[in-house]
Amino acid sequence: MKLNIEGLLVYFPYDYIYPEQYSYMLELKRTLDARGHGVLEMPSGTGKTISLLSLIVAYQKASPLEVTKLIYCSRTVPEIEKVVEELRKLMEYYSKQTGESNNFMALALSSRKNLCIHPELLHANIVVYSYHYLLDPKIADLVSKELAKKSVVVFDEAHNIDNVCIDSMSVNITRRTLDRCQGNVDTLHNAIQKIKETDAEKLKMEYRRLVEGLKEANVARETDVYLANPVLPDEILKEAVPGTIRTAEHFVGFLKRFLEYLKSRLRVHHVVQESTPQFLKDIFDKVCIDRKPLRFCSERLQSLLRTLEIADIADFSAVTLISNFATLVSTYSQGFTIIIEPFEDRTPTIANPVLHFSCMDPSIAIKPVFQRFQSVIITSGTLSPLDIYPRILDFRPVTMASFTMTLARTCLCPLIVGRGNDQVALSSKFETREDFAVIRNYGNLLLEMSAIVPDGIVAFFTSYVYMENIVASWYEQGILENIQRNKLIFIETPDAAETSMALEKYQEACENGRGAILLSVARGKVSEGIDFVHHFGRAVIMFGVPYVYTQSRILKARLEYLRDQFQIRENDFLTFDAMRHAAQCVGRVIRGKTDYGIMIFADKRYARADKRGKLPRWIQEHINDGSLNLTVDETVQLSKHFLRQMAQPFRQEDQLGLSLLTLEQLESEEMLKKISQIAHQT
Amino acid sequence: MDEEPERTKRWEGGYERTWEVLKEDESGSLKATVEEILFQSKRKRVTESHGQVRLGMMRHLHVVIDCSRTMDDHDLKPNRLTASLKLLETFVEDYFDQNPISQLGLITTKNKRAEKLTDLAGNPKKHIVALKKAVDTVCIGEPSLYNSLHLAIQTLKHMPGHTSREILVILSSLTTCDPANICELIKTLKSLKVRVSVIGLSAEVRVCTVLTRETGGSYHVILDESHFKELLMLHVKPPPASSSSECSLIRMGFPQHTVAYLSDQDAKPSFSMAHLDSSGGAGLSLGGYFCPQCHAKYTELPVECKVCGLTLVSAPHLARSFHHLFPLQAFTESPAEGLHVDRFCQACQGELKDKSIFTCPICGGVFCSECDLFIHDSLHCCPCCIHNPSNP
Repeated sequence: MKLNIEGLLVYFPYDYIYPEQYSYMLELKRTLDARGHGVLEMPSGTGKTISLLSLIVAYQKASPLEVTKLIYCSRTVPEIEKVVEELRKLMEYYSKQTGESNNFMALALSSRKNLCIHPELLHANIVVYSYHYLLDPKIADLVSKELAKKSVVVFDEAHNIDNVCIDSMSVNITRRTLDRCQGNVDTLHNAIQKIKETDAEKLKMEYRRLVEGLKEANVARETDVYLANPVLPDEILKEAVPGTIRTAEHFVGFLKRFLEYLKSRLRVHHVVQESTPQFLKDIFDKVCIDRKPLRFCSERLQSLLRTLEIADIADFSAVTLISNFATLVSTYSQGFTIIIEPFEDRTPTIANPVLHFSCMDPSIAIKPVFQRFQSVIITSGTLSPLDIYPRILDFRPVTMASFTMTLARTCLCPLIVGRGNDQVALSSKFETREDFAVIRNYGNLLLEMSAIVPDGIVAFFTSYVYMENIVASWYEQGILENIQRNKLIFIETPDAAETSMALEKYQEACENGRGAILLSVARGKVSEGIDFVHHFGRAVIMFGVPYVYTQSRILKARLEYLRDQFQIRENDFLTFDAMRHAAQCVGRVIRGKTDYGIMIFADKRYARADKRGKLPRWIQEHINDGSLNLTVDETVQLSKHFLRQMAQPFRQEDQLGLSLLTLEQLESEEMLKKISQIAHQT
Repeated sequence: MDEEPERTKRWEGGYERTWEVLKEDESGSLKATVEEILFQSKRKRVTESHGQVRLGMMRHLHVVIDCSRTMDDHDLKPNRLTASLKLLETFVEDYFDQNPISQLGLITTKNKRAEKLTDLAGNPKKHIVALKKAVDTVCIGEPSLYNSLHLAIQTLKHMPGHTSREILVILSSLTTCDPANICELIKTLKSLKVRVSVIGLSAEVRVCTVLTRETGGSYHVILDESHFKELLMLHVKPPPASSSSECSLIRMGFPQHTVAYLSDQDAKPSFSMAHLDSSGGAGLSLGGYFCPQCHAKYTELPVECKVCGLTLVSAPHLARSFHHLFPLQAFTESPAEGLHVDRFCQACQGELKDKSIFTCPICGGVFCSECDLFIHDSLHCCPCCIHNPSNP
């Protein structure tokens, strides 16, 4: 159908449209008009992707000079494929409607095997790829730095974008890394010796180039051709590479010294935490390495690798990592911390020293993106509370909106279970974690649900350790045996191969009427990327509030930083983080309007307003006073009722006019008024 | 059943939110919307049945009854098993009432096995006796969908091609314990043109959705007991015949009922052929129906002659099957406000309180929605049209 969105003609490749899609496009258009950034939350399964694509493509066609390119970033390969599929549909619709052949070029970068596209990338109108191509400085430099300024960047499924930013800037160094790095340095040394004998001129050329400095890059940045690289700070572009590392041999010597220093730092018996200036001072005192050459380390290594004409860069990942670390540590005096741990918390007897160079400020990695591109859209099914993202990513959005799901029938049933049948308060908090009564009641809840919910149930625990304890305890109490009478049990493990095997069998059991339960972990692979449509997930149970492991030093440092720099209280951030993961977990079961599922929050703390208020609006509005602090029995009764209601035949006609609109219905006054209430501005 | 167990079990039973029934229908409330949808589908059923379609009137239906441990659940009173069996009794009666030339068989499944309760037969009495007996069954273990379907196929596949082969499963459990992959069996069912319908007592199970979709049956889940009854009644009507089913003339015999008196000299008491192989039942009798082809005697119709294989029916049987072919026209629905004559239903004489009324397109009689359903479901003729001789 052809839509008129505030004067913009949008081709929409379906005959029907959800009201919230229309509302979403309205907000999106306003964001593009304002040339600003936006944060938009819309439940999964309501056609976010196609709304985004049709509007932005229409915008590009209408004003090709204002918006030249769409950069669509998604998280996983299947998601990217889905986007491409939708895009294909849209393009077919365009050529059918307008009758002219397609002059649009779209490009998807999914895996390494498809990665050889440099010239085309510049001309494509739409680019679809993974976050890392834009956020990870190492990859962004290769792929994305020449993207035009007038592009629209969309981050889909962006509820975890701060963690992606942080990961892309953090470096972990273990003994293994150092050993491999040592090998790399030796190889470099030999290569230099060899090239010196055969082609000494080459090295001299490089030397001369380095004296000139990185002028070329500087010119490029000033003329605004490239995307800024956070690993390549502005200052060093204006300077020449310092003399101490200008010749190849000196540089290798320098690397060796740096490496020895790192090795000595890893020989610790207690935890060390220090800031970057402290680290720099220490390295200067001990091995006389100045700040300046460290800053050029990454760039210098690249130059050397190019000069030596080394083809397989992957072999040199260790030394690249170390040199990146050197540059980062000497560039940023804030936003990073260095923690050296002699052993892991869980195994305090085994020495396994790790140097965590951890980024605490996600805005560092994403800053160039916000600065360069005129519109950046951050969108996901679960972004609540919306206002925290602009704060931690340090940008000013022009639109922030949360959309609800219009439904012809209430197809989700969020229930907060606070008590067992014996009135014992259910909670995963630390004090009651080992409590026998709580564990028994949790078991009871799962047992009762397994008897009344058809096909698949997904249960999430707060951590692997907690899951192991509970499952062991259930086994001793015989609860597991009773559950197995109703359904098969599958367990997610940290091992990816094992988990995908379990998932496959789980789906088979759901398919053939055996019924199954999947026990998994919030923040695990299952909670992030796997959808449980229809019968694969008729109920999801969240045992406890999935707080992040608060004893971790990295987290503590980050919380401190957030408090000092962004005035976000520790507790607020922890709750926000826990609730977004809880929302992600329970959101796995509703993947569309014809789907239905029960969402059980099994912890009395969810009933509190500060927790409940942080759930996405589309879940929140279905939680009423009658679904708070329930006992297990009440939960079972409500669920039974819900499941019977949902099993009644549900046809497309029942949705039409309410949650699914034809063009005529959409254009009626009354509906437009209703639609204007869907978006909830914050 | 006696009152005692019901009362003791009531307080033990589930936590009922009885006050929720009284909930006001505010806009968008769950109950209101679902009831609206249900009403629509009920209406649809009435309107859908009209139109000239070929119907599979000679039906062979196997009813599979789940007797697994979930049938002990008290959400139907006194428990699921008793309630289901009771409803099935009325179903069996209605089934034979509306489909006199059809047959029915009962299968139970529990403890991973399937057992035949009664064979395919056209006599309601035998089935009802079996159902009454089944009340005492101990509900145990898991059902096996595979085994029950497999057992049903064993007899259904030998039925002639012009008859409809159907299976109706009353499933309470949410799981099934199968010895082999059920998907293969579904393919077999499809190739044999067996139509499988399922009535779920607890929730929607995926494998049933697939099973019914593939075989062309229907899948419903009950809301409560009255809804359960309604869903069962859906299966009383013969389903449209699949276009691929054979079309053939059927030989049928219409035996006359011969009444003999003891005073009659020639009368000799004899056995009915139908009772020969069954151990119990009536013994010798004087009169009966004699097959016009081979003169075998039967006491009840309809039946398939054991000797020559001829289908024996009586004329009223055929006539009763007829109304399926010439159904009563659907009444037109209109809002009640438009009516300014007497506001009374012409059938039940009650006041018309609903928001819509129904008018017979032939005689113009006005009916309430309840009577509309009753007329179309049971009477099959408009009372006003018959009453008024001027109408044809």
